[in-house]
Order: sequence, then C-alpha cells, then structure tokens
Amino acid sequence: MIGWVIALTVLAVLGIAGGIGWSRVSKEHHEARSLPLNAVDFSKLNDGTYHGMYGGGMYTWRANECQVTVSSGKVTDIQLVGSSDPGSKNTQHKALYDRVIQAQSLQVDTISGATLTSKAYLQAVENALGQAQHE
Amino acid sequence: MENRLVSQMTHCAMDTVMTHKAFGLNAEDSLESVHREIARIEKLLSRFLPDSEISRVNGSAGTKSEKVSRETYDVLSDAVEFSRCLPGCFDMTIAPLVTLWRAAKESLAQPDSSSIKQVLPLVNYRDLILDPWEMTAGLGNVGQSVDLGGIGKGFAGDRIQEVLKGFDISSACSNLGGHVVTLGAKPDGSLWHVGIQHPRQETGLIGSVSVVNQTLVTSGDYQRCFTDSQGKRHHHILNPRTGYPAESKLISVSIVSDKSLVADALSTVLFVAGMEKGLEFLKSFPQTEAILVDDDLQVFVTQGLRYRFRADKGIAVTILD
Repeated sequence: MIGWVIALTVLAVLGIAGGIGWSRVSKEHHEARSLPLNAVDFSKLNDGTYHGMYGGGMYTWRANECQVTVSSGKVTDIQLVGSSDPGSKNTQHKALYDRVIQAQSLQVDTISGATLTSKAYLQAVENALGQAQHE
Repeated sequence: MENRLVSQMTHCAMDTVMTHKAFGLNAEDSLESVHREIARIEKLLSRFLPDSEISRVNGSAGTKSEKVSRETYDVLSDAVEFSRCLPGCFDMTIAPLVTLWRAAKESLAQPDSSSIKQVLPLVNYRDLILDPWEMTAGLGNVGQSVDLGGIGKGFAGDRIQEVLKGFDISSACSNLGGHVVTLGAKPDGSLWHVGIQHPRQETGLIGSVSVVNQTLVTSGDYQRCFTDSQGKRHHHILNPRTGYPAESKLISVSIVSDKSLVADALSTVLFVAGMEKGLEFLKSFPQTEAILVDDDLQVFVTQGLRYRFRADKGIAVTILD
C-alpha cells in the first residue's frame, strides 16, 4: 500500500519545479508533458547507490543524471550529478528531491494543491529506483 | 490475478499531470475509460482546443449562438449560477483577462492598467446567452470569451466517479493536478488521507484531511505565479471585478465536497471573496467544508472537519464555529 501511496505523492510533487523556465519551445515542452512516469514500489528497495539517467527529450535540453542512495530500504539521499539544463544551477531540483525522500514518511495518499509539471528530474530518479527494486 | 485488482495510470490532460488509482476486477479497463472520458471532456470544454464547443462559442462571440451538447450547456449554466450567487467573485467570461495575465507571466511584467481597463468590460457573465430550448450558447460582444478553468476539472471529477461506478469500482483515487477525487474508502476500509500543500514551503504540508467519496480541491496564490521586475509576486486567481490577482488576505483555500464541480468552483469563489463573505456563502452548500490559510499563515478549519483535519507539526489551527 505505502508503495503506491508514495508513488502517487511523488507524482503530485511534479508541480514543485514549475518555476524553472526551461520550456520555451513548445515541441520540447509537449514531449516533456507526455513523459510516462512509472510507479516505484518504495517498499521493495535494495540498499546501494544507483545512477539514474534521463535522455532529455528531442533537443536533450533536459538530460540529467542523478545518484540515489538507498540504505535500510529507504531513499536517504538524491544528488544531481549532471544536467544539460541551465536551470539546474538553481536549487529547484533539490526541493523536488527532498520531496521524494520526505514522501516515504508522509502518511498521506496524495496531495491536494500541488500543481504544475516538471517530470524530467523525476524521470531520472525513477530510472535509478527501478534498478534498486527487487521482486 | 492480484495485479488485475489494482491499476494505476498517469497522463497529461487539461494542462496538468493526472494520476488515477483504482481497485477492483475491472480496474485496468476502468482507468482506460477514465482517460478517454477526460480527453472527451477536454474536447468539449477547453478554450485552447480550436475544435472544442467552447472554442466555437468564443469564435462566434458577438455574432451568433452555437449549438452545444447537454453537458457543455450544464457546465455553463452551473458557472452562471456561481457567478450570480456571489457577484464579483467568479466569472467564466474571464478569458480576455486571463490571456492578458498569461502574457504578463511570459514577459515577467505586470500588464499596464490601461490594457486591464480595456478588457475589463468584456468580462461579464451576463453577456452569456443560454437558450435551453435550442440548446445554444452565445456571447453578446465581440472579443468576449469563456474560460472554464475554474470549473472544468471539477466537472471532469464528477464524471470520473460515474465512469468508475460503471465498472463496479468501489475504491479509487484520482489526482487531477492537485484536484483530488476519491471514490469510496480505501480497499481496507480506511479513509483516504489527502495532504494539503503548504502555501509557502515547497516541500511541506499544512496537514491532511481524511475523506471518503469526496473531492478536495485547493486554490492557492503559490500556483502558476510569477514575480515581476519590481519584485512583486502575481498569482493566477484573478478578481473579475478589479482585473488584478485577488487580494482577499487568503493565500490558500481548500474545499471538501461530495460534488467535485462544487468544490472546484467554491475554492476559487472563496479565494476571491475572502474569509468572511466566503464562509457565509459556504453555508448554502450542505456537506461542504473548507480549510483556509490567511496571509499570516493562520489555518482555519470549518466545524465539519474538526475531527478529520490533522495539522502538520508546528501549524496552528483555529476551528471555526
């Protein structure tokens, strides 16, 4: 249960980095919007450090790479290790990562009032956690 | 077998990200239907889709009325009702103003007062002509335009519940970009816990509300906002009377209601109306409750949520009479 609860929360989190002004070209923007995010079961994570990458759409503007640390079955740290997005110099992705970490302990099913969209960073996190997942 | 009992879907629609989770034998099929239904509604109501019914009405503004479907007609009628009940707080002909402020957001500069003055007379719900016999809708003046942004997701929420029920789903939760719709309780019988975004802390919540079969919608000044070159912040909830973002001292309004459309419209209405006038208006909606946050970050919760709202650490709450 908590796994998908968190996955839902994570998706609600997408709103956070909406301020990043990275979506001027509509084609790229549209592509970003249709990115699928798969549910990660947070209850089945193997300890370790994982690298996640996202290719970054048509012009690779949003390419980014992150490092996710799982210890005692929990996500304890997420670091941005590389990004082609000029907006990554500010700290908005950090807020997004914090939220993913925090989401594990939040006892909520979903969040009201968190809108906007920013999926590319989460795409890489998901990619990393996919590797951490065990059956 | 177990996999078929629960299904989850994420997609983009209505300019936001939507997630749905359903439990039951037909979970997967039900969510595919939900997805199609949302796309169908968007094709009726979005003013950004050139072929939508609303776009046709807008395109013929000042010229003629257009035939619309029963559903579009009903949503427009509901919107008129909300505009009428509390004048100056809600107006679905606000599109010209929204367009002005959207451009402002792009250029990071507040629109000049003369352009606001110029479009303000175009914002008037009384100019929407609805003919129930012919089932037509029309706008009285050239340049007028309907925007159902304050009510469209609400309508979609109500429709989602109907679609799910048609598949015998008794437990589901949809998040339409922050607009949360629940069907029944969770499969284990417990309540859904819906967190409410903290209006000033990106990663925080003000608390959570337990809901069953209800919608929770939050309107806040922190969504879709921008800071202009003078450093002044402008948010997206416009006061149709002044033409500027509403300044009612409320920075976040959440509504819990059985009806998703009502919750959607009321969250905007109360945000613009402010606490006193808004709460008075809320009384005419039974089974509808609110959580308000003012600009001092004080949280106010209506009586009916007394035992269902749980504040996050460090959040002070006043229960309203």
